[in-house]
Amino acid sequence: MTLNSRIARGLLASAAIALTAGTAMAADIFVIGGKPDDPFWSRVKKGAEDAGAVAEMQGGSVTWLGPQNYDNLGPDAAELIRQAIDQGADAIVGPNWVPEAMDPAFEAVVAADIPLVIYNAGGIESADRLGALNYVGAVDYKSGYAGGEYLGNAGHQTGACVNTLPGAANIEAFCSGFIDGLAATGGNGETLQLPATAYGDATAVAQAVRAHLIQNPDIDALFAIGGGDTSATISGIQQAGKTGSVHVCGMNFNETVLANIQAGTQACAIDQQGYQQGFFAVSILNNYVTYGTTIPTREILTGPGIVDASNVEQVIAGVEAGAR
Amino acid sequence: MSSPAANAPADTATSGFSIGSLIRRPEAGSLIGFVVVYIFFAILGGAVFMGAPGWSSWLNIAAEVGIIALPVGLLMISGEFDISVGAVVPASSVTCALLSGQFGLPAIVGIGGALSVGLLVGFVNGMIVTRTSIPSLIVTIGIMFAVMGLTLGLAVLVKGSTSVGYVPDPLTKSLLGTFIGGMFNVSIFWWMGFIAVFFYFLHISPIGNWVFALGGDAESARNAGVPTAKLKVSLFMMSGFAAAFVGIAQVMTYQSAQVAGGQPFIFNSIMCAVIGGVILTGGAGSIIGIVLGTMTFAVVNQGIFFARLDPNVGSIIIGALLLAAVLTNDSFRALALSYATKKK
Repeated sequence: MTLNSRIARGLLASAAIALTAGTAMAADIFVIGGKPDDPFWSRVKKGAEDAGAVAEMQGGSVTWLGPQNYDNLGPDAAELIRQAIDQGADAIVGPNWVPEAMDPAFEAVVAADIPLVIYNAGGIESADRLGALNYVGAVDYKSGYAGGEYLGNAGHQTGACVNTLPGAANIEAFCSGFIDGLAATGGNGETLQLPATAYGDATAVAQAVRAHLIQNPDIDALFAIGGGDTSATISGIQQAGKTGSVHVCGMNFNETVLANIQAGTQACAIDQQGYQQGFFAVSILNNYVTYGTTIPTREILTGPGIVDASNVEQVIAGVEAGAR
Repeated sequence: MSSPAANAPADTATSGFSIGSLIRRPEAGSLIGFVVVYIFFAILGGAVFMGAPGWSSWLNIAAEVGIIALPVGLLMISGEFDISVGAVVPASSVTCALLSGQFGLPAIVGIGGALSVGLLVGFVNGMIVTRTSIPSLIVTIGIMFAVMGLTLGLAVLVKGSTSVGYVPDPLTKSLLGTFIGGMFNVSIFWWMGFIAVFFYFLHISPIGNWVFALGGDAESARNAGVPTAKLKVSLFMMSGFAAAFVGIAQVMTYQSAQVAGGQPFIFNSIMCAVIGGVILTGGAGSIIGIVLGTMTFAVVNQGIFFARLDPNVGSIIIGALLLAAVLTNDSFRALALSYATKKK
């Protein structure tokens, strides 16, 4: 059994790839994503289209399919996947937002021998389960970890993660990542849990941070779970009279965050880099369909990217270009 | 130290105060609640909580929710609810940031625009409540969702983002979004101003009695010549205005307006009013009570962080306080009524 038949199977597989590559040559790639007017997804779409420029040069195309709204996300997205199959896609990129609703549609893609890449949501587990080529996306835990590691390496090793949404799985993942990231540099951290009545109220967040800093004078590193929370956290630090001695990293960014990084009141922002998700998912498929090349690295992480004083100007230029 | 304490009983005696009449004041329950809660957290929180950092911490919280709780309490006294404040706060922040930040107009235009949004939402609430028989709870929930949707839509349309940044000029910032002594938010002083105006309105001006009459028996009030519809519309406009004011103060303080947010103000403002002795069915309540209720709420909210308690414990305490407040309100009211009948 074994060695010979394995080699034979391998040869057969590569022959099949060569054959498809020979016949197709130009790839018509369909990308399923969010609403194009959604700020995050507009960047993913730009990434996909920029990578699609190469496909177009080779005679292929990139088509973006997004739902009208997010009211019925799983079934709507599954319908878009089937639409892509029907329109004769050579390759499909899709996020596995709601596995129960979307898995059957992804299985239909694989059954039709259409190369598939899962991106943005679902993780490498769903790519493996469905037989997709790869997964391209960010991981919440690693985003928090990057923040902890960044502050820890800068010498700020006693930390707290400001959790304004206790109970949400992705937020818990940010915080446990942050604490583990700090620990990896020899520091230690804990979670400052806010009551549910504080979420969305910047003053409540700022005052909670301030009280916590006064009661725990050792703390010199904070992690906030979003752009708005980061601004509130910075205000809390100022009111505690600890500007300059307590350093903050936060998830995501907006113009206020970028201005704070420029001004030095925020150490870093963690970016999930949506542009990369669209760009690499489309590139991987285009090269695979056109030339039969593969990316053996499984699970392509597009985040976390770190924005700090060293690259903030470049990020601002990226924002103006619509890529960040 | 000992002389003021010795003088105190004499002072109260000359001004005609007695424990008996004090306890029959409608605010008595709220005052006792505040003192008990403050002592509890003072013991757990220690010197820091009792010092300036502690006071500024809970006063900052109290000021913002307090500015909204005043008109919301007034509406409750007149027998109505206003849920839409939760959507007016972010709508006002975003309006202000878009006008003055995105379009670069003078700060006064942004502030005026944001306050107009609040007044307009209040006007619409009031018109629907007075022209139809739909309960205000439902009307203002509906308006809240409509305003939330419009805010999100507008921000995404104009800015392409769910947050809008705005850096106010130093004068505006110092009036609306600065921290005095590095810790006391200027909104505390605005809150004091609101308290003075609302106190005059409810307890000194003749219109105040109309508000009570509205909540006690709207039909009779109208028959007695109270312009009930006009009064209600103005009350809703006051709460829209106050919520918009808080939205402006937040954008001036944090220099960033978020589309989502403001939701906590809905229940927090109602809780402050109820802990402060406002009765849900209308007809009873006072400004001092609402202020005490707000202070109690804020002390619990911030006290938990100074006392190093689990924040969930804070929520349990607030829930328990709310129930205790409703129960004591009933008993104090019974006491006050029995006293009044005895006097006759």
